[in-house]
Amino acid sequence: MTSIRNYFFRYFKKQEAAIHELNYLFWECTTRCNLHCLHCGSDCSQDSSHKDMPLEDFLRAVDTIKKPARNFTVVFTGGEPLLRTDIEQCGRELRKRNLRWSMVSNGHAYTQQRHISLLNAGLGALTISLDGLEASHNWMRNSNQSFAKVIQAIAIAASSSRLQFDVVTCVNQRNIDELLQIKDLLISLNVKAWRLFTIIPIGRAQTNPELSLTDNQFVSLMEFIKKQRTIKGFDIKFSCEGYVGKYESDVRDTNFFCRAGINIGSILIDGSISACPNIDRSFSQGNMYTHNFFDVWNSQFQSFRDRSWTRKGQCENCNEYKQCEGNGFHNWHGTKENVLVCHKQKIDNYFHIE
Amino acid sequence: MKRKFVRNIIGGLSFTSALFIFQACYGTPQDMGADVLIEGQVLSKSTGLPVSGIKVSVAHSLQFELTDADGKFSFYTELQDSIRLQFQDIDSSTNRLYTLKDTLITETNRKTYVAIELEEKND
Repeated sequence: MTSIRNYFFRYFKKQEAAIHELNYLFWECTTRCNLHCLHCGSDCSQDSSHKDMPLEDFLRAVDTIKKPARNFTVVFTGGEPLLRTDIEQCGRELRKRNLRWSMVSNGHAYTQQRHISLLNAGLGALTISLDGLEASHNWMRNSNQSFAKVIQAIAIAASSSRLQFDVVTCVNQRNIDELLQIKDLLISLNVKAWRLFTIIPIGRAQTNPELSLTDNQFVSLMEFIKKQRTIKGFDIKFSCEGYVGKYESDVRDTNFFCRAGINIGSILIDGSISACPNIDRSFSQGNMYTHNFFDVWNSQFQSFRDRSWTRKGQCENCNEYKQCEGNGFHNWHGTKENVLVCHKQKIDNYFHIE
Repeated sequence: MKRKFVRNIIGGLSFTSALFIFQACYGTPQDMGADVLIEGQVLSKSTGLPVSGIKVSVAHSLQFELTDADGKFSFYTELQDSIRLQFQDIDSSTNRLYTLKDTLITETNRKTYVAIELEEKND
């Protein structure tokens, strides 16, 4: 049964790559941030010397999209999007075009007043990061005020029945033993969805071993998610960051499928056109200041749509390559000669699978 | 078109219901919720002129917006069978004082226009 399902799923992925429908567009609207975390979900090699991208520039790119897909969403990311005072105006301009928008935030500046003005402007989905209980969260966020602020932000966001809201947590050595308590805390705050991910060793995370999980810890994370997914009314899952072998059907709603460049695009702070913002910037496919954005989306992105080039390094002889196809795209950095992290290998190492 | 049809069939055969609702690993959930844009204008019943600074709020919700210099307001809120709006003068007598008014919107489309006239308070 599993092999039939895998067969159809692989076929489905091929179809998705061929259709190449743009469903999800990140906009790196600022690289300014009000925190200086030990790790950053965007490409943390970025500095904040770029000026925020003017709304009109972004809208010019968006307006090149002919017939946006029915579920097309623009995701505001950064930096910290809330540092822009015109986020609401940006959102309203998108809604005027019948487009939906959402936002990723560290929650530090997410007050009740801002919550109301964002909802008024048509915000539909929101993700806020919580990286542990007070000490471990503040350690990661490099701020002794961050936990109190993010808890307040989460409580405000979770009170809205309109928002599709979830909390994400970067699991690391400082918070791996707190997961049960974090889950209870989130449930007490009325949070309905929690996504956990691990940190790939890029940017500031490269030099801090506490940010990465050992093989043993990674398996205990998989076991934790698997067990907690039996709780009704609370959606807990592992992110789509990588292929997790024997845990594939236990920790997510669907099999691993990295949609970067297949259904997910981005407009980065300098106008570069790429997929997820944490992907090596050398994969950029063009620039919206010199090219028509939608033409680039339609005519480029070959290295995203055909991942066969990733069959090298430790992926070359992997017997599950067909399911995985080189893991999450953000795992190919620098020389791109090998995948940065193989989640399956961590699991295999733990279970002593050759 | 044909490809999209095949995509739906294959998606169904791989026995996963969440194939078309996804989120990037560092992204947000997809917004599948429904909301409504409520726009309108608040005028003085006695003068016919726009009234600024009126708090337009949604019952059982944190949401509100203040009318602008033209008495206009515009916001999105969750689509429901009916939406109760309250119009409240919160700037005391800065530009005269108006009585509180409630209105119930029962036909909520994706875009709803509400024109409201407020009576002046006599005290």
